[in-house]
Amino acid sequence: MNERKLPNPGWGPLSALPGNPLMWVLILSEMLVFSAFFALYAAERVSATALFDASQRELDPLMGGLNTLVLLTSGLCVALAVEAVSAARIRRARQWLAAAMALGVLFGVIKVVEYSSKFAAGITPETNAFFGFYYGLTAFHFAHVLFGLALLALVTWRTTTENVETAAAFWHMVDLIWILLYPLLYLLR
Amino acid sequence: MTSLPGTRRLLMTWALLMALTVLSMVSARLDQDDWQSLPLWSAGLVIAATGFKAQRLLMVYLNLRAATPAWKGTFVGLVILTLALIAGSYLVARLTG
Repeated sequence: MNERKLPNPGWGPLSALPGNPLMWVLILSEMLVFSAFFALYAAERVSATALFDASQRELDPLMGGLNTLVLLTSGLCVALAVEAVSAARIRRARQWLAAAMALGVLFGVIKVVEYSSKFAAGITPETNAFFGFYYGLTAFHFAHVLFGLALLALVTWRTTTENVETAAAFWHMVDLIWILLYPLLYLLR
Repeated sequence: MTSLPGTRRLLMTWALLMALTVLSMVSARLDQDDWQSLPLWSAGLVIAATGFKAQRLLMVYLNLRAATPAWKGTFVGLVILTLALIAGSYLVARLTG
């Protein structure tokens, strides 16, 4: 690739990545961290298949699926906000960001409802290894959702192309992790 | 600023991602009342749909299509590695459990 055509000239190997190069470093490191957790989960599942199968029955895959649809739609709104801000349509970009945040909050509400029903049934992270992973992985992801919402709120206030592009990349990373998490915990049985 | 995917491509990708999610849910036989292990083809379909969703999200939502083949390969490779790990452990658990 010609040096003059690189999206981020002067960033060495990161020059070829679109958007903020540091966000890509974060995305790669988060993917590696979650992959390591997935590997741990996978290893535990092999050694305690019956326990994991029995515990997995207590989850509601429809709620998880609904949350996947919500998060993917939120990701679309953020991507449309990037399109709008790059065309200098700041007001429209803020509207898309607001829609993305509303869907992010809906994701959180569904997750809290899910957690509440589990706690009401006496299922906690201490119940067994499966639920340790379930709460650990989904809560870690949920923390990223909350941080992502804060980032989106910040760039709705300071709406520049670079800011929106950077927050959008983080939000899509949150989306990507959930896409991998959903089948692992809810669907594959 | 790199070239963005465009509204049309974003909407098409979103529709595809939604469809693949529903396909995953149907493949996982969520409509069945009795809980039982998935047939292997069904689990394979869930994993394939997940991989394709992750690839589309990286290329279009995250606009990785604007990067060099090396970076595309790095990220897609990591997704494939993660899914291979998930699929491998699932298979081992199914065959030995």
